[in-house]
Amino acid sequence: MSRSQFDDDEILGKAYDATLVRRLGVFVAPYWRRLALATALMFGGAAVELAPPFLVKQAIDGPIAARDPAGVLPLFGLYAAALLAAFGFRYGQTYIVHSVGQQVMVDIRTRIFSHIQRMSLAFFDRNPVGRLITRLTNDVDALNEFITQGTVALLGDLVRLLFIVITMLLLNWRLALISFIVFPAVMLASSVFQRIMRGVYRRVRQRIARINAFLNEQISGVLVTQLFNREEQSRIRFAELSRDYLAAQLESNRTFAVFFPLINFLSVTAMALLLYFGGQAVLADVATLGMLVAFIQYTDQAFQPIRQIAERYNTFQSAMASAERVFRVLDTPATVVDPDHPRSLPSPVRGEITFENVWFTYDAEAAGPDGSGLADSDDRWVLRGISFTIPAGQAVAVVGATGAGKTSLVSLMARFYDVQRGSIKLDGIDIRELRQAELRRHVSAVPQDPVCFSGSIASNIRLHDDSISDEQVRRAAEIACAAPFIERLPGGYEYEVRERGSNLSVGQRQLLAFARAIAFNPEVLLILDEATSSVDAETEALMQEALARLIRGRTSIVIAHRLSTIRHVDRILVLHKGRLVEDGSHEELLAKRGYYYRLYQLQFAEEVRG
Amino acid sequence: MDQFHHLWPFVRRYRRRLLIGALCAMAATAVAAMIPQIVRFAVDDLNTRGVVLDRLLQYGGLLLLTALVEGVLRYGQRTQIIGTSHLIDFDMREALFAKLLTLDQGFFTTMHTGDLMTRVTNDLSAVRMFLGPGVSNLLGSMLLLLTAATLMFLTNPTLAAIVVLLLPMAAVLFVVIGGRMRVIFRKVQDQFGEISTRAQENFSGIRTIKAYAQEDAEIRVFREANERYRALNLRYVLLSGMLWPIIGLMLGAIGAFVLLVGGRMVAAGEMTVGELVLFNAYLAQLAWPVIALGWTVDLYQQGAASLVRISEVLQRRPAIASPPDAPRDFVVRGEVEFRNVGLRFSYSQSANGDSSAHPASAPSPHAQPSVAGASEWVLRHISFRIPQGGSLGIVGATGAGKTTLVNLLARVRDPDEGQVLVDGFDVRTLPLAALRRGIGYVPQDTFLFSVPIRENVTFGRPDATEEQIAHALAVSRLVNDIEQFPNGIDTLIGERGVTLSGGQKQRTAIARAILRDPAILILDDALSSVDAHTAAEILAGLRSIMKGRTSIIIAQRIATVKDADQIIVLHNGEIVERGTHRELLERGGRYADMYRRELLRAELEEE
Repeated sequence: MSRSQFDDDEILGKAYDATLVRRLGVFVAPYWRRLALATALMFGGAAVELAPPFLVKQAIDGPIAARDPAGVLPLFGLYAAALLAAFGFRYGQTYIVHSVGQQVMVDIRTRIFSHIQRMSLAFFDRNPVGRLITRLTNDVDALNEFITQGTVALLGDLVRLLFIVITMLLLNWRLALISFIVFPAVMLASSVFQRIMRGVYRRVRQRIARINAFLNEQISGVLVTQLFNREEQSRIRFAELSRDYLAAQLESNRTFAVFFPLINFLSVTAMALLLYFGGQAVLADVATLGMLVAFIQYTDQAFQPIRQIAERYNTFQSAMASAERVFRVLDTPATVVDPDHPRSLPSPVRGEITFENVWFTYDAEAAGPDGSGLADSDDRWVLRGISFTIPAGQAVAVVGATGAGKTSLVSLMARFYDVQRGSIKLDGIDIRELRQAELRRHVSAVPQDPVCFSGSIASNIRLHDDSISDEQVRRAAEIACAAPFIERLPGGYEYEVRERGSNLSVGQRQLLAFARAIAFNPEVLLILDEATSSVDAETEALMQEALARLIRGRTSIVIAHRLSTIRHVDRILVLHKGRLVEDGSHEELLAKRGYYYRLYQLQFAEEVRG
Repeated sequence: MDQFHHLWPFVRRYRRRLLIGALCAMAATAVAAMIPQIVRFAVDDLNTRGVVLDRLLQYGGLLLLTALVEGVLRYGQRTQIIGTSHLIDFDMREALFAKLLTLDQGFFTTMHTGDLMTRVTNDLSAVRMFLGPGVSNLLGSMLLLLTAATLMFLTNPTLAAIVVLLLPMAAVLFVVIGGRMRVIFRKVQDQFGEISTRAQENFSGIRTIKAYAQEDAEIRVFREANERYRALNLRYVLLSGMLWPIIGLMLGAIGAFVLLVGGRMVAAGEMTVGELVLFNAYLAQLAWPVIALGWTVDLYQQGAASLVRISEVLQRRPAIASPPDAPRDFVVRGEVEFRNVGLRFSYSQSANGDSSAHPASAPSPHAQPSVAGASEWVLRHISFRIPQGGSLGIVGATGAGKTTLVNLLARVRDPDEGQVLVDGFDVRTLPLAALRRGIGYVPQDTFLFSVPIRENVTFGRPDATEEQIAHALAVSRLVNDIEQFPNGIDTLIGERGVTLSGGQKQRTAIARAILRDPAILILDDALSSVDAHTAAEILAGLRSIMKGRTSIIIAQRIATVKDADQIIVLHNGEIVERGTHRELLERGGRYADMYRRELLRAELEEE
């Protein structure tokens, strides 16, 4: 998969793409009843909105002309009723359409989120979190616009315009034709305006984006600018960008400055035409005075839908672009998938692990499905033919220099990625033949950078697994040596952990991660132990104690960075550039005076000295 | 209102434009108010049947003429007033950026980049929206309201009273519903924030989620958060969906009322049909301006709040600046001395994370002892002297204070104790620009700009000749890399161009520094991503061009510093060992130990 697959934030969609609309339709379809109701309300609204000008005509031509003050009252009553009805119809329509839009957003968002959950880690390596968030937020919002502005509302504009035109024709076709003279001009002016503004807005957006990018870089690199005496040049460059932006803004302002008065002028033109030609009709008794007044109002009423239809174009365009991006995420196939006919692990699970000639690269695309795409000598292999067996209950440490493949080895055991060649077996069954959920119920990984989620301490231990009781949470915390610090926190287990665990220390987060692993009680445990410099001696001792309890009686693979960790394990696997170079107990390997011996000197000897 | 005096210097320049805009607005209002009058006379004429065709033509022509004149005047109003707001926006953006460039690192470490960006973009927009559309609306609405009200009262006081008393209700409705909407909208935003935080946490912690097979539970929780968002949004829509229909209803009701009362008056012969039409026309004309008054209140509030945030930056005085009495024509020769230099822990603790707490008058926030009085020292008792043309190597563990130490030389920070001298002068007495011009600095975190490589390399020396550039590229061993790029030295760096490897970046930064031909060259761990062989080549190249110049080299690798005239070993902010490579090895201390392990590592890597 190419790196640039999602570098498509700049997609400029068409205003209408049948395929995309059809796919969006699938999300909207379940709510067709509500949309139908909204449409009915819209028709009702469009109809009653026709009444007020007509009633004005009736009043002027009827009781007012007849000098009958009492006759005005019933017309007033009808007028008020029409207004209330119009309010009710409009409000109802807006509310229903928006409620559908909101519901569809929930559906689409959950759908995207669920899909992303199914992706393998390779997907997350490739797509920055920020971009995925944008799909879930901005793009989904644009789709909401499409529903609220694009469906019933668009139809509503057309219907309202049609109703007004028909009413005018029915009332007095001569006057109607006079009014219609300006309609094409309004339509033309609006669509020209929209076309210009589309370009202008794009320029405004582009240029502000450029300012933002420049500003961001300049703020991040301000020290370099200052040290190299480049302030003046930066200022000049910024002024250039800012001036471009100003030009676009002024252009936009000028366009508005022409358009609004122009529309106003057209409205007055319609009035003037009606007065002149309509006045003659009144004089000729072909029309009444009230009719003339009503027509002036109808003409004004027609302006709004005509202008809005032109505006919808932009909404459509951005919605289509968003839809394309969203569907692109939804169309990304999962690479690590459950088998069609999964096998199940023997019960009880013992926890025997076997690696058989495992080859692995992060460049799965180049390697191909069977790993034949890359030569054995290719640099891109991270693991090269690793084989070993860990009997149930044994604790093993994996050591090696940075880049030796330690983390990859553990990630493969949890099936975050699939191997290209060879196989990994748990109790004799290839882990690819198991359902991921089942595998991970028995194999847990404690990650290198202990992750915390916002929520209570308890929810950080049991996550969302409600089958883990409060009592079990407490016991897990005690075994993991986390209980003392938790109990000191205000609220204890209910203490609110902030985003990313920012109100906990690194050591506390590590202990929480241990507690979590114990609470889930897996048969196989994978631990990425990080030598954290920011942990004080006391916490360090606690962590070691917790680690020892954690791996007791469990098959464990620990990536060790500390000597103290190595002391807890039965056996050590030494990786070097993707190969297993040594395998044995700490004493055996030291006695061998081989690679491990020197690695030990380098990484751990200093600790011995203190 | 107080904060608006900061605005005056920016507005002043455009007094004339604003005056013209205001005149246009006044004239346009006067002309616009004529239109209903014309319609009224036409209707009355028609009604009394005394009209002849010529008169109708006159009315029609008059209408078109007024509309045309109004249009031109409105164009003037908009381009002058709102156009000016864009010009002020431009000026303020420039001033903000210029100010940012003068501010010290203390400021930048306490402020988030995102926050600063918001001030330069969104906050500025809010101020502009008030200055432009806000002021323009306020002016237009008030003028029209006054004119129309006067004319209506002259025509029919009773009806005029109804319109003038009821119409503001529409504005009140707007403000009331709008206010409620804002309250709920904030909740909607918060919930939205929760959704995006949830997703963010989930995606960032996906390993943990997957490790414990929590995907389905996460989806459930995410859906729940979305459902809450939906529920809140529906409450919002309940109001927002009502806003325009109810204002429409309000305006319609006023219209109906005018029709009822006016219609009865006309029927009773107390008023003409034309006058009734006139009221209707004014009503239509006034509807939007009155509502816009409510909107202006909104713009004012947001603009005022944003202006405060902008002023905080504009009024901020840089903690590190050239002294006013600095010698004018100073040129760095290259002698460096640290005299018992000490530096307390950084800005962030003492600044309490809130920059606004430090108005311009506070000298330098980080010079104050930290809140608890527990003054931790980053560096203490640092003394050494490098003669002009000499070299100094600095080694030490991460966090020992190496970078902080060299930062004092170019006055990225000032020491809290002791003195840093260049050519015998305390750096605080020297002109800042001249001091920095004498220093070529290769920082630890290589920062390159997303411009072509050429511009990055000539960053400190825009007037460099091709030979000079070629030489710098040769010394930094960047030449071969550049040949492989699509456009050679003119290849763009960054997201839209090529992505450089860590080593390539560092070598670009080295080329950038040596092209300045500095009196003092500082390499801060600048070869860490360059392989040992290339690093040795670069060092050899540097030695030849640095003859007679002072150099300070910080490194993790002993091999990089071992040829320096003197080497100091920093530990916990103090110098624990010093001497030449040979002397230090003989001592058998920390330095010797580092060297031994380095050799071991090299041996391991060769397997």
